[in-house]
Parts: sequence; C-alpha cells; structure tokens
Amino acid sequence: MNYEHCIRCTICVENCPVFRVNPLFPGPKQAGPDAQRFRSDKERIEDDWLLLCSQCKRCEMACPCGVEPAHIILREQQRYGKEHPQTTAHLLFANNYYLSALGSLTAPLANVIASSKTGKKIFSKLGISTHIPFPRFSFRTLRNERMKQSRTAKKAAFFHGCFINFYRPDIGRKIIRLLSALNVDVVLPPQWCCGLPALGNGNLTLAKHFAQKNAASLSNYIDAGYDIVYSCTSCGLCLLNDYPGLLEIPQAKKLAENCYDLHEYLLKLIEEGYAQPQFREWPRRVAYHIPCHLRALKIGYPAAKLMSLIPGLECEILDDTCCGLSGSYGFKKSNEVTAVQLGQRAVSLIRKTGAKDIVADCGSCRMQLGGLSGMKALDPAEILCESLGIATPK
Amino acid sequence: MGANEYDAVIIGAGVAGLAAASFLAEQNLKVALITRGEPTACLSTGAVDVCSKGDRPLSAIKKLPPEHPFHLVAEETLRVSLDKFQQIMKAAGLPYVGSIEKNRFILTALGTFKTSCLVPATMEASPQDASESLHVVTFKGLKDFYPGYIISRRKNAKCSIYDAGISSTMSLAAHFEERPFFEKFLLWLEKQNIYQDKIAFPAVLGLESAAEIVNTLAVLTGKPVFEIPTLPPSMPGRRLFNALKKNLRDKGGDIYWSWPVTGIETTDTVIETVTSFSEGHATSISGKAFILATGSFIGGGLTATREGIRENIFHLPVHIPGPHETWFDDNYFSMNHGIGRVGIAADAAMHPLGTSWKNIFVCGSILAETQILKNGCGHGLALATALAAAKSCAEYLAR
Amino acid sequence: MIKTDVIIIGGGATGCGIARDLALRGIPHCLIEKGDFAAGATGACHGLLHSGGRYVVTDPVAARECYEENLILRKIGQKCVEQTGGLFVRLPGDSRRFREVFLRGCEEVGIPAESISASKAMELVPQLNPQIEEAIKVPDCSIDPFRLCMLNIRTSELNGGIIFTRHKVTEIVKAHGRCVGVKAIDQTTGETREIHANVIINASGAWANAVASLAGCDVPMTLVKGSLTITNHRLTNMVINRLRHPSDGDIIVPNEAVCLAGTTSIPIVDPDKMNTEYQEVETIISEAGRMIPHFNHTRIIRAFSGVRPLLKSTKMDSHEISRGFQIIDHQNGLYSILGGKLTTFRLMAEKMVDRIMAFFNLKRPCETAEKPLDGQEELSGYPLSKRLEDLKDIVCECELVTRQQVEKIIRQTGTKNVGDIQHRTRLGMGPCQGGFCTFRALGIMNDMNVISPEQSMDILHGFLQRRYKGIRQVLWGDQLREEQLVEYIYLGVLAMEKPNGRE
Repeated sequence: MNYEHCIRCTICVENCPVFRVNPLFPGPKQAGPDAQRFRSDKERIEDDWLLLCSQCKRCEMACPCGVEPAHIILREQQRYGKEHPQTTAHLLFANNYYLSALGSLTAPLANVIASSKTGKKIFSKLGISTHIPFPRFSFRTLRNERMKQSRTAKKAAFFHGCFINFYRPDIGRKIIRLLSALNVDVVLPPQWCCGLPALGNGNLTLAKHFAQKNAASLSNYIDAGYDIVYSCTSCGLCLLNDYPGLLEIPQAKKLAENCYDLHEYLLKLIEEGYAQPQFREWPRRVAYHIPCHLRALKIGYPAAKLMSLIPGLECEILDDTCCGLSGSYGFKKSNEVTAVQLGQRAVSLIRKTGAKDIVADCGSCRMQLGGLSGMKALDPAEILCESLGIATPK
Repeated sequence: MGANEYDAVIIGAGVAGLAAASFLAEQNLKVALITRGEPTACLSTGAVDVCSKGDRPLSAIKKLPPEHPFHLVAEETLRVSLDKFQQIMKAAGLPYVGSIEKNRFILTALGTFKTSCLVPATMEASPQDASESLHVVTFKGLKDFYPGYIISRRKNAKCSIYDAGISSTMSLAAHFEERPFFEKFLLWLEKQNIYQDKIAFPAVLGLESAAEIVNTLAVLTGKPVFEIPTLPPSMPGRRLFNALKKNLRDKGGDIYWSWPVTGIETTDTVIETVTSFSEGHATSISGKAFILATGSFIGGGLTATREGIRENIFHLPVHIPGPHETWFDDNYFSMNHGIGRVGIAADAAMHPLGTSWKNIFVCGSILAETQILKNGCGHGLALATALAAAKSCAEYLAR
Repeated sequence: MIKTDVIIIGGGATGCGIARDLALRGIPHCLIEKGDFAAGATGACHGLLHSGGRYVVTDPVAARECYEENLILRKIGQKCVEQTGGLFVRLPGDSRRFREVFLRGCEEVGIPAESISASKAMELVPQLNPQIEEAIKVPDCSIDPFRLCMLNIRTSELNGGIIFTRHKVTEIVKAHGRCVGVKAIDQTTGETREIHANVIINASGAWANAVASLAGCDVPMTLVKGSLTITNHRLTNMVINRLRHPSDGDIIVPNEAVCLAGTTSIPIVDPDKMNTEYQEVETIISEAGRMIPHFNHTRIIRAFSGVRPLLKSTKMDSHEISRGFQIIDHQNGLYSILGGKLTTFRLMAEKMVDRIMAFFNLKRPCETAEKPLDGQEELSGYPLSKRLEDLKDIVCECELVTRQQVEKIIRQTGTKNVGDIQHRTRLGMGPCQGGFCTFRALGIMNDMNVISPEQSMDILHGFLQRRYKGIRQVLWGDQLREEQLVEYIYLGVLAMEKPNGRE
C-alpha cells in the first residue's frame, strides 16, 4: 500500500523524463498513486497512457516518501498487456531473446537487411523506430567462447545478458579477461534473457518463465561457491528488483545477496585487498552518462570510483538525464519523438563537457548516445582494460 | 580511505545538507551526501527567507524567543553563509539579489506579498507595493497560475495568454531552454502591445538559463521583467536544488541518491557507519563525522505517530514543547501551533542535546523551536546552521 | 414574495426526498436550506444503505423498513447505488448467542443473510483480520449521500420546484394563528425573501426544535454526535460490520475512493457547536483496526462529526433509541418530521407527503419507489467510470475532477462557494483535502469574474480554516507531512497570512 504515503509533492513529476517532453503522459504521480485509488480488479484497464512510462525509475529515486510509482505502473502495465491486444512492436520486443538468437544465427544477412532502406521500411511498418541504427547482430556470440579454468579463490558466474551475447560479445570477452586478470575464475552459466524486455512489453508470463529458469541455474552456481556478476545494469535491476517483486521468484533473496554489478565487484576485490591492479596512464576526457537503472540499483557509481584510479583520465559524471532509449522503449515508433528529444538533450549535455568519448555501463544508453552523436560510446570495462593493458584477440 | 569511507557524511539533500556538505568539501575533506529522495527545497519559491518579521532581518532575529536556533549561530556566521550562498548561485549562473540588512517583497501567485531576504535575480523586479502597473503573461492551460488573482487586486493590470502547446510548469521550463521554442515565443511577445510598467511571468522561464532568459526578455521589451513563484512543481526551487547539487559535485563531494538509512553502526561515543539496504545487499558508508540535515516532518527527518514523535535515523531525543493537546491550535492561522516547535535541540556547536555520540551535528529544519512559517526563516536558517555545523564538524575532524 | 403550496425547510435526505415526492405528485413546492444540501446529518453519515441487519436484533420493525427501502433504492438508483454487499464479522470473543439471534432475526425479517467461513470472507475482503471466526454476508450498499440529495432535487427542478440553498429561515410568518409562510435571509447577498405556502414542513433534522420554536412549537429531540474518519483509499470493497450489539466504531463503509469508519455516540446540546475529539478518533481506529488490522497504520485523511437527530428518549444508551421516525402535526399548518435514517428517507418522505395529500384532499399515489432517480446518467462514479476525455485539464488530481466540470458547476449554480463545487464534484475530497485544487478552483472563479479579490481571500481563509477543522485530529504520519506541505504552500509560497504585505 505504498501509494498511501504520497503527499502529492510532485517531485516525481519533475524528474520524469517522459513527462518533460510528452504531453500525453500525465506523469508518475497521476499514473501511479493518484490513479491507483480508483483502479479495481473488477474493471478493465483503459489507461493506454500507462504504456508511455519507460520504467526508468527516476520517480522512485526522487520520491521523499517511498511511494515507488514505477512499480505501481509496472504492475498495471502487465494488466494492460493481458487485457488488450498487443501491438506488433510489443510482441517482437517481448520476445527479443528469441529474435536476437535468430538474428545472430543469420548474422551477416540479418545485418545487411536491417541496415538497408527496405529493412528500415519494414521496421517502420512493424512499429520499430529507426532514429538510430539497429544494433548489429554478432554471428559468434559470447556463449561460443571457450573458457579456461584455473583454481583461484574467487569464482564468478558471468550473467552477460542479451546485449553482450548477441550484439557485442567483444565487450563480454574483455570483461572475462578483466576478471581473469584480477585472479577471478569466470564461467558462463546457462542463462536466458533476464526477462526485462518481456516485462517491459506487457508479457508477465514470459518474463516469469525466463526468471524461473535463470534463478534455478544461478542458484546452483551460488551453491557451488560462485559469485554472480552482471554487467548490464538493467539486467541487474531486473534480477535484484523484479525477481523478488513482480516475478515472485522464491530464490530471489539468495540471488540478490550474491549478485554484483561488475564494477561493484571489482571495487570490492580491490578494497578487500584480493586484487591490486596497476592502472596505467590513460589521458582522456570522458563524459560518464549514468544509466537510469544504475542509479536505481543504489550502489552509487562504482565505475566512477574505479576510473578515478586511472591517472590522466578526466571523468565528468552526468546523472541528470535519461538517454531516452530505455531498452526497447525508444525503439518503438510510438515513443520515437520522446526518445529523440531526450536523447538529443543528453547528447548536448555531453557535448558541453568537451569530452572526447562517452562512457555508460548500459548497452542501451551507448546505442542511443553513440547513435545520435556519432561519438564513440564505451563500456567502463573497456576503459579499465585499456588502462590495464588487457588486449583482446580479434 | 576506502571507497565508501569518508571524513564527513551528510544526511539530507535540502539546502542545509547541500550547503553543509559544500562548506566541508571546500576544505578538502572527503565528503559524502546521502539522501532518501529529493528535498522540500524543490517545492519552495527558491527565495532565501532569513527572518521575515518586519523590515530588518537582523533586528527581527534579535527579537526571536531565546530558544530559537538562530541564537546558537553568531551573526558573522549567518553573514558568511549568505555570502557563500550568493557566490555559489552566481557561479551557477543564477545570481541572487538582496541584502541581509533589509527584507524585500516578492509578488505571489495570489497577488499577496511574501517577505524574503535574498531572492533569485529573476524576481528582482518584483513590485514592492500596489503602485506599479503590470502586464501578466501566462500560458494556455497552465493550471497552477491564475492571473485573475493578481489582476483583480491591482489597478491597471492586464494579461496575455500564450499557447505554447504544453501546459505544465516543468515542460514549459524545459522548453524555454530550447532556442527554437524561445525564439517563437519572442516573436509572439513582441506583438503584444505592452504599455504597463512591468511584465510578470509565472516562474517557468527556463531552468539553468533562467536568469539569462529574463535578461533577454527585459532587453527585448525595454521593461523590467520578473517571475512569480508557482505551486509545485516549482521551477525556482528546482533551479536552486540543481545548482546546489552541481556545486557539491564540482567541489568533489559524492552524492548517493535514493539511499534511505536503514541501519547504523555505533560505539558508545561515536557513530561509525550508516547502512542502506540497496537492491540486494546492504551497502555501508562510513564516516568520521556525521551531519544530520534530514528536515522536519515534510522532509522525513521527523515522524509523528499516534504514540509520539521520533527522529528516524539515530533516534535522537526529540524536543517536544508540550502535550499532544498543545500541538495544534484551534485557529489555523494562529501560527502558534506547538508542532512548529518540535525538533532536535542543539548547542552552539550544533551538537544535538541528549546524546553521548560526539561526532554528530544537526542543522536545518530538523532543529527545535524554529517555527519556520511564523518567523519566515526557512532557507536562511538552513544556510546559517549549515555553516555552523560544518565549522564544528571540521574542528572535530581536525582534532 | 413567492407563493407556493408547500414549503420544505431543510435540504437533507428527508427534505430532498419530500421535494421529489411532491414534484412527482404535481404539488408546487419550495425547499429552503440554510447551507448546501446534506449540510446536517445526511452529509455527515457513512453513506451506508443498510440491509437492515444492523437493527434486526434491537428493532426488527426498523430492520424490515430498511431492507425494503434497500431493495427500492437499488432499483431506482441503479447507477448511483454501489452494491457493495456487506459482511458482519465475528471476532474471537464475540457472543455466539448474539449470532444466533442475529441470524434468526434476519430470517424472520426476511433479510437474505448467508453465513460464510473465515477463509471465504478473506477471499472477498483480503484486508480482513485473519483471526475472524466467521462472517455473515448481507446485501448492504453504499451511496454518496450528497449525490443522493442532488438526484432527488433534480426531479424537483425538472418539475418546477423552487430551491433556495444558503438561505436561513429567520421567521415563520403567522396569520390568525396559522403558519402561512417564512422569511429567509440569503446568506450570500443578505437579502430577505418571503415565501408563503399552505403547508410548511420542518425537515431540518438536528435543528428541528430551533425551527419549530419560530412558530412557537416544541419538538422533543435528543441530539447525539457521531464522528467518522475517512481513509486515504479503499481498504475494503464491501461494507464491514461487527457482529455484536451496536456500539462505537463498528462500521466501515467503502464510498467512492475512500472508506468511512465510525462511529461514536456522544450526546450534545448545540448542533452548531461541536468538534471532533481526538479520543473519538482513537476509539474508531482501534475498533476498526480489530476488523481490518491495516486500519491501525493506515493514513486517515479526515475526521468529522455529524449530529443524529433522534426522537427524545429516556433510554440511557443512545444506540437503543429508535431510529424510527415521527411526523408531528403542530395543528397550525406546520408539520415536523423527525428521526429516521438515510436508508429510509424515501419512506419517510412518502409518509409525510401522504399526510399532505390528505390535508389537500387529493388522491395522488406515491411514485417515488417506481420511477428511477433523475440525473443518474450525468454521474461519474467509482471505480473507473471516471474516465477522462481530457487528461490535461485536471484541476483536482486526487479525485480526477476536470476544469470543464468545475466551470459547469459554477455556471449552473452561480455559486461563489467553493464548498458547493466540492460537494458536487468531489474536488478536494482526496488525500490532500483540497490543498492544491482549491487554489485552482478559486483561480478559475477569478478568471470567470465570478468573485472579487476580497471575496477570494475570504473564501480561501474560510476554506483553510474549515479544512483544518476536518484534519486536525488526524495529523500524524503521512497526513501530517501532507499538512506541512499544504501549509508551506498557502502560508509560505502564497504568503496567505498577510493579505497585503504592508499591513
């Protein structure tokens, strides 16, 4: 009954990036605690504007009373998904895992089609936005990687997520080498989509399906003494927040206690004295765009702390804006205007810093900011690898 | 020091907390500010009230009851805190005008006059009485601003309405930051036949560029232009908060958002750590000293239940001036409600009374006997007590 | 001077019900109410349309009346009566014997009562105390009492009835010892109106004695204060009663987006001078909390009191005083109708108008039980029929009231009173209790040039003071936070304490 605590201060509304640019969205206060007093299980949900919420969670971060409007809205989005026919775009993105698998299997061809004029027309017809290039599938996924095993004190099971697996396995390889360089044994446990795309597109059943499988698999590894490490902040938030919440996974607590964000984990290793990485000079000015879901994880900005150990690196933190992509949200044509407006604003703030490159822990943010600005968008892990001189074979 | 270890940990992101953290960060101390959410300051008019009873805040302060926390703070500290505040806001591109020697008025959305001391430059031209004629410009659909209130109370006031296509304070302010939107608005404004003395706007004229925008409008129209604060979402409050946030970050402070303190670790004499249960596992932040600036009831620093009133994090003893019957007067406007006096009592070192912990300080509206509305002493008291607390904290750390 | 056949003094459920009945029977009439509709007991009650279960043990006749009226109201008010159903819950320690008597009583009176298990009850109302022994399901319903009055008045308006609200009757005009009319002061303008009629009906509830004395008559009444608390949101979708002898705090009623819980029973003398006491709020919360545990921690947004106008009795326990009603013919053209409860208002009106028909020697049958209430189609109700065409123009965000609705009421009624807008649209009835929306509603009135600046300041002062009275006894937890915010807005941002800076 969190919405009971709402004192109508409107601070959540001030923070909502969608409200700021899209007059059709009444804001988290209206969509959440205000409307909740009137919603009833006996009546069909008709508030289609609920779908305009991108689930960035900025409202929850700002609420002084602990109301959690995004959670209220997420629950009602699932109800809406159940009670109304889905758009094609919603259906496709909910099944992102399967489609990406298909895409990577047919990679060279799939990429050619996706970037062609015809492909873009097809995307438009399907309700998919083309304001930034569609990410390129990689034929050789991360799971194809063969892992070297050694006996070390620390063992990590890497939850890589769909983005790294199907689109940027090269980053995944860097992360594996990074961890290995710090004396951590890395394995790739059996894993599926974390479930967030399904949840974000109104398919609670599919999300639960993925969650149950992931939980069972990761649970085994935890029992065997592995720490679970994730690098995508949205996967992490789903694992830590939605698994115990909406997805009702019984092992959720155990998972949460043993799951770490990659940089949180690396920092922990250094603090505990387990690893003493020698960061070499890497003079650069970078703009670190903090992904909304990293903020929502409430672990601070560990990557920033790590990057501050690198001599010569100037890292300017930007955590005031949402990039506007929010996973599949910005890829839906219906949200294109919102995504572009927010993205352009985020880019202009980045440009103002005079930074050469963009850094963000979230693949979605990198796609958006890199795609809109033409600048290079790096994962912090890539910078750490550079500074540690960790090379990756092609 | 480890990544999560700090010299000073400030709890609360309001004016008091952000100011205290900034004052400490300036002294090259490693500072963390943690907060559950965004502060009440976001909802304020942005103006700094020092003591709004009468013309001269300093004399008014002298007349405050002896228990008032202003008496804990030296006048010099108050002056310096306001100076530093003005420097910070000037550097942020949002200068404040006014002086501690004399109060001034801001015209409110009701057409009444609010007494304050330092006001954002965007409100500098606010009329000080009923004599000047005003042209009020508002925006179609803006439901938190009704020119009628103002026009009906003044002679020779008129109103124009601009259809911006958007109608909330937040989105208007965001759009004013975009050149094309601003230029289109300017074209429209030029065509309004404005002959009155001054032009008034609801406070939606941009965010970080507000002062610049108001200047541009004044130059274009050749008339003084000023903003009128609105109901929340309040843009001047948001600008103030954004500027203080950025200032702390620029000075090297770490800010932890959405970090409600769920546990503390202490010895008999010192507080060592505060913990928050983040998504998954608890994270801890350790400090050599702590400053509590979590606000009053609205801020969440104090909670009243049917059983009593408590301070939520450290369970410090709460000063309650009388029994439950005295907390609320019969007359709403009496301004004498006992509840306005509830809070944490402190000594001149801003150290809370009744606790054995040596390394904790308090500032801001969580203090006892403030009676903020009655005395008109919100942000001013926050700044003064924040500097006092920061000083004491720095002294403690130096030992 | 206005000349009509019947004057009704009092715009509560009884008065409005009489107006409707007279209208349907073609009798010209004029209703005069000193405040807005439902200003007395009607506006201060639960809004519960009893199944009758509550009276089955103490007053079977009243119970039977209630049940029949319940059926009628459900029929004629299909769109405005919420058929919530009700549960009488038995907690550990509650008398099993009472339960037997209760069930037997229901059977004898003819009220459908079904005994259900605790787990079934928990399915129906998940927030119930899991320790209940059992529950008895009855057909309770709920309605917004103000709406009820408005709908009755609609019929009167459609048939030429004259309605004066905010008019206080100051004199009953007599000629040759007979009551021939009244003088009433328009509270807004100060004008006096004189209305003459053949019959005057005193349906002024708790003020019945004060009104009757204007004609030199006496009306025996006991005035009993009852207080209610309102929760932030619905904790239950069914009416919850306590399966025991009627006592304090044993009803919780869902109404619109909130729950009302109560009540208490404190004899008073002056209906215009009463306050809700903190002790009453504590009692209600603790009793309600036994049926729905969350009550102990939930946010209460308001507490208010009403006066029950009961027939004078020497019985010590005011719960035992008959809720039945009485019609007094003062033998001089004035009739007083007293007592009763919301559920039986229509029956009371019918009996009263039957008497009037006899007086006029007319034979016209009562149709109020057959004809559906007029004006129901215009209603938005709970839960989601409050669909909004225009999300941008919401004035009251707590209760989803749009600008168009507010403007419509202002134009229709010509009112300068924010309370009138509140009653008709529920503006300001939500968690912030008008904190934001009253500023907006008054702003709209300013824009429409309906009020002057002095008026708007007075209205705002008056509104804040009245609002404060309603929340004063529930200021803790979230509601205290809310209150500080509203205080900061009105007294801080809007600098309300000094109407003009240089004072």
